[in-house]
Amino acid sequence: MAQLILNGVVTGLIVALPAIALSLTFAILKFPNFAIGAMLTFAAYIAWALNTLAGVPLVAAAALTLVLFPAVTLICDSGVFRPLRNRGPITLMVASMGLSFVLENVCRLVFGNDARNFDIPLSRPLRYAGLRINYEQIVAAGVAVAALILVYLILLRSPLGRAMRAVADNPDLAAARGIDDGRVIKATWILAGVLIAASSVLVGMDRAIDPQMGWNYIIVCFAAAVVGGMGSPAGAVVGALGMGIIGELATLVVDPNYRAGVAFLAIALVLLIRPHGLFGRREIKK
Amino acid sequence: MSVQPVTISNLRAGYGGDDIVNDVSFDVRPGEVFTIIGPNGSGKSTLIKVLAGIVPARKGTISLFDKDVTAMKAAQRIAAGMAYVPQEFNVFRNMTIAENLRLSTEFIGLRGRRGLAERDRVLAMFPDIAGRQSILAGNLSGGQRQMLAFACALISGPEVLLLDEPSAGLSPRLVGEIFQKVRAVNAAGTTVVMVEQNVAQALPISDRVLVLVNGAIRHQSTAEEIRARDDLHELFLGEA
Repeated sequence: MAQLILNGVVTGLIVALPAIALSLTFAILKFPNFAIGAMLTFAAYIAWALNTLAGVPLVAAAALTLVLFPAVTLICDSGVFRPLRNRGPITLMVASMGLSFVLENVCRLVFGNDARNFDIPLSRPLRYAGLRINYEQIVAAGVAVAALILVYLILLRSPLGRAMRAVADNPDLAAARGIDDGRVIKATWILAGVLIAASSVLVGMDRAIDPQMGWNYIIVCFAAAVVGGMGSPAGAVVGALGMGIIGELATLVVDPNYRAGVAFLAIALVLLIRPHGLFGRREIKK
Repeated sequence: MSVQPVTISNLRAGYGGDDIVNDVSFDVRPGEVFTIIGPNGSGKSTLIKVLAGIVPARKGTISLFDKDVTAMKAAQRIAAGMAYVPQEFNVFRNMTIAENLRLSTEFIGLRGRRGLAERDRVLAMFPDIAGRQSILAGNLSGGQRQMLAFACALISGPEVLLLDEPSAGLSPRLVGEIFQKVRAVNAAGTTVVMVEQNVAQALPISDRVLVLVNGAIRHQSTAEEIRARDDLHELFLGEA
């Protein structure tokens, strides 16, 4: 059971990064970004191309992806979301679905449908106190925890984080306090891009990269963000860890193919008790 | 002739396909408390949001000390000398008093020591909140939240302060305190433009009054003149 919990924690940490990105964009831009899965796929292909086609070592390829991919999210914003900003959340959500198909098919067109892998050597798993842990899992957990600490510091300790929280809470009041929401939106997409890029590399270290890989994560990301409370980055982390651990523990009682179902059952129970998620707030309308 | 702090010419604004403010023109004189009254839905709050740069003007011009600020964003209007206190939801309730004050300085170029000095200057005017900076704004009483909102707006040292219904949701005793504070801010040299529903308590502290009905100016005069009228109720409702 301890092994399953360990695996669940690592999976949850990896999912927590795009779940925070989803939560941040929802909090500030007020729409659920259904392109999050395709964005993750696109970022993974950038890292893969740098690593295997350009021959850049994986660590350097990952670092370059962290720099390059936020430019993609900014282009997506200025090309798709910004022109529709005042059209309401449903329009933006549908636009994100369209963007998802575009990004996925760009990957398919350029790199084909074959599964790809990073150029990383095989290594034996470590054993400690009866637990088995892969090198990739250690890296994934370390990077994810570092990213979470960074996000925490940005959101709670920096002027940018205060501005992001202010715009998420009350955009008109934020404007009245001198905060430029355009800059905050750009910063949000950059931060989301970094989180998605980091997660894409960690996912790519664990499994094959293919044009459909994002679909495996989009539902889990949404589930984590919803159970944590849409718009709450801390809730997204708790939701992702919960999804990861419950999903792994479910394999003790049901076939592994159904573990996602058990996790969704747990989500349904949480939402029955707390309709706004664990950390979500009820909207106050004037 | 002195330069007017605020001059509005043929202003038109609204949401969606509808104009809420229709062809409104007026000016605000230096050092006065200029109060905009009118029934619910008359466009008062929309008008003051247009002045603050929160809602864009569709037509017409807004000038601040003869400088056209119509195209400026809210942040730029703060730099030009204007500050705005919204109605009711006017502090970030999930942030502490200290965070609310800090947020009001760091995006208008008042960082570091200058920001701290401005915070101390403003807090000296609001002793109720000065000693409680680590408390979440959401845990303050309605009156204290209003004081914090005033403090946040005054931190930029505005020459024109825009207030959207400062008495909204407050008990009669607190309304008196809030209006005293408005008078004190005005006495210190700040021109005040205030939207208010509480006519009885707003008129005594006002110099001039504008009555807005259905988005258009119904009447404009000194506060004394309005107080002397027998048909204030009809005027207020747009029936006079």
